[in-house]
Amino acid sequence: MTGSDEIVITGAAGWLGRNLVEAVAPVRSAVRVLVQSDADASILSLAGRSVQPVVGDVRNPADLDRLFDGVTQGATVVHAAGVIHPAGAVRELFDVNVGGTSLVLDRARRTGMGRLVHVSSNSPFGVNPSCDHRFDEASAYKPYLAYGASKEEAEELVLTAARRGDVDAVIVRPPWFYGPHQPARQSQWLRAVRKGRFPLVGDGGNRRSMVFTGNLVHGILRAESVAAAGAAYWIADPEPHSMLEVLATVREAFKAEGFEVSGGQPRLPRLAGVVAERLDRGLQRTGRYSQPLHVIGELKESIVCDISLARQEIGYDPAVDLLEGMRASIRWCVERGHEL
Amino acid sequence: MTAFQTEVLVVGSGAGGATTAAVLAEAGRSVMVVEEGPAVAPGRAEPFSLQELAGSYRHHGCSAALGSPPIAYAEGCCVGGSTEVNSGLWNRLPAPLAERWRAQLQLAEFTPAVLDRYADRVESWLGVSTVPGSLPPSSAVLERGARALGWRHEEFPRAFRYDERGRGTKQTMSRTVLPRARAAGAQVVAGVRVQRLLRAGRRVVGVRAVRTHDDGSAEPLTIEADHVVVCGGAVQTPALLQRSGLRHGIGGGLKVHPTIKVVARVPEVLDHDDVPMARITEFAPAIAIGGSASRRGHIGLALADAGADVSAALGDWEHRFVYYACIRSDAGGRVLAVPGLPTPIVTYRLTDADLSRLARGLVHLGEALFAAGATELHASATGAPVAHSVGDLGGWWDAVDRKRANLMTVHLTSSVRMGEGVDGGVDSFGVVRGIDNLRVSDASILPEAPGVNPQAAIMTLAARNADHLLAAL
Repeated sequence: MTGSDEIVITGAAGWLGRNLVEAVAPVRSAVRVLVQSDADASILSLAGRSVQPVVGDVRNPADLDRLFDGVTQGATVVHAAGVIHPAGAVRELFDVNVGGTSLVLDRARRTGMGRLVHVSSNSPFGVNPSCDHRFDEASAYKPYLAYGASKEEAEELVLTAARRGDVDAVIVRPPWFYGPHQPARQSQWLRAVRKGRFPLVGDGGNRRSMVFTGNLVHGILRAESVAAAGAAYWIADPEPHSMLEVLATVREAFKAEGFEVSGGQPRLPRLAGVVAERLDRGLQRTGRYSQPLHVIGELKESIVCDISLARQEIGYDPAVDLLEGMRASIRWCVERGHEL
Repeated sequence: MTAFQTEVLVVGSGAGGATTAAVLAEAGRSVMVVEEGPAVAPGRAEPFSLQELAGSYRHHGCSAALGSPPIAYAEGCCVGGSTEVNSGLWNRLPAPLAERWRAQLQLAEFTPAVLDRYADRVESWLGVSTVPGSLPPSSAVLERGARALGWRHEEFPRAFRYDERGRGTKQTMSRTVLPRARAAGAQVVAGVRVQRLLRAGRRVVGVRAVRTHDDGSAEPLTIEADHVVVCGGAVQTPALLQRSGLRHGIGGGLKVHPTIKVVARVPEVLDHDDVPMARITEFAPAIAIGGSASRRGHIGLALADAGADVSAALGDWEHRFVYYACIRSDAGGRVLAVPGLPTPIVTYRLTDADLSRLARGLVHLGEALFAAGATELHASATGAPVAHSVGDLGGWWDAVDRKRANLMTVHLTSSVRMGEGVDGGVDSFGVVRGIDNLRVSDASILPEAPGVNPQAAIMTLAARNADHLLAAL
């Protein structure tokens, strides 16, 4: 760990951010968090007395000045703020994912922060060229649509800052994640799988790496303390699964948690995914975004990564597998009365 | 019809054409340079003045690339081309970019050693230097802001020579390289617009042109030539090739450096006769930050772009100055010659990533200006909030959209593009595909916008391409 046990977290009220805040709040002297609303500030404050919320916009330099104001030099920064599914226009992806990263990096340098962990994505690398291919740390950028392009440009900013010695930055690249504090879209997805309404696109043999939020938090904290500046690591569950296995495991998790599972397995021809991707591309070229088209278009693809380097170099050791992680997600929803 | 004959005909007398002519003439070849615009005595018009706009620019400096938003651009149209009207800022082609081009496009003779050799040569013709003594106040603003934020910044070298009293003279083509070409026997003819290239199979045999005399009378010409080198810039060159029936790889892929401006008010009185020589390189090559021509009229125009109350803000114009953020753009544009129209249609469609990068550049520029002590900033997006402190800058993200952003550019490149085995229009040395004795040597052959002022790259490549042509003569 660097000179201070303090930590600054952007995107703290997001899916990953909340898991991270809960993990670090009890053990750190100060957890400075950037959130977008007073309501989020109140909720995060419940995680512990160390939590110090700052309400603001990651695109606003003055809000970031307040975020870093008074933080001890050498403190860690986890930059988790980002937009995956923009509410309306594609532009927001670039403003937040690239612009926010540029401003956060600059503040981290100016205020003498220590390690900065940048949360990236699989999207700068696109999709695997074949079912048995895995991305590793030597893979070349081939961004998937606007989100991928925005996360690639952000990664390049981070790598430049690290190479120039401006910021002691490292990158973690999680694929599709799941776990507590999931957004409504994930609960809808779980419910659709339980009721047998979520379609396979293609034969279901395409594979996915996924990552349980708890595993990701562990990976980020390893990257905080161990990694070398400028490094980037894939952070995912122990094993990838075919889409068929993913859906079967979710249904198994429901059964194990006492839920009834119903329905069969609807299927869409792979062509439907191809058409959806085309429409998604066309729409994004005009600046617009449709989440259903984007999701169906991507479902047909394999997106698998190799976590060996993170295991070797930073001691990343994901403890939770898909079944256990999905059961934890279901229990979290049940505890909060979310309809599944 | 009057007819001329020459060994090498150079179409255009700007950075590319003048350099080509000088290299060939000094090697003893017979060279004729034709220039569409007039010959304007250097120093006759005040730099960056209305008189200069009227006399030395195409369309009086008001051209536009159509798109959403449209992008205003300016091209010189006089003997010496844009080098007569630009700021003389001098950047060699960045080595990493040159290396990427060499590798991706399999460019021959494109190593750092070769490029440096030619850059040394053209620099020795011009004289490239920095300002003697301390920077003027308008430059000091950028330097002070960058220093306060810990941002990388530097002084632009310029194609300037300074006398013992520190007075600088811009080393334009009409002051330097064209006299060199003339001294070696080249003929430079102003007022000649080339309408089309005359072809015979895989060769050009000359051009058909119109010469406009000082009294306004027009005279058709033909010029026969063994070799033709087209150096009309990234808009006029592809238009001429298209008018001549050459369309493969010609006109698409246009690149510009989209630029957005801010009018800053600072406590001190600023100088307004020259552009700032300081620039902020912290975010290069994606974003460059610098200063623009800022005579009273420029400030008024930029304030109008912001939708501000111009007359009120001009009351203290001596305290105001125009600064810019300019980006490397993902988008591409197109130049299309339309039969019957004297001017090609230029289109350019910015991507969402480009617009976001412009907004990011604007926000960073605002940070630097406030750090330098600015008290009021007007961004050139209609209705953007007037910023009085860093806290107001967040409002600029949403103000820079397709409807409200007022953008301009002075760098247009890449509408023909060199390369081997790719979709570009010319090979590694500017030879047009399929026409053995026709070359292009200007900004249009750059594979991408270079992210820096392109004059040095244009002259370096023109000198290199001219040497290659010499070997073929």
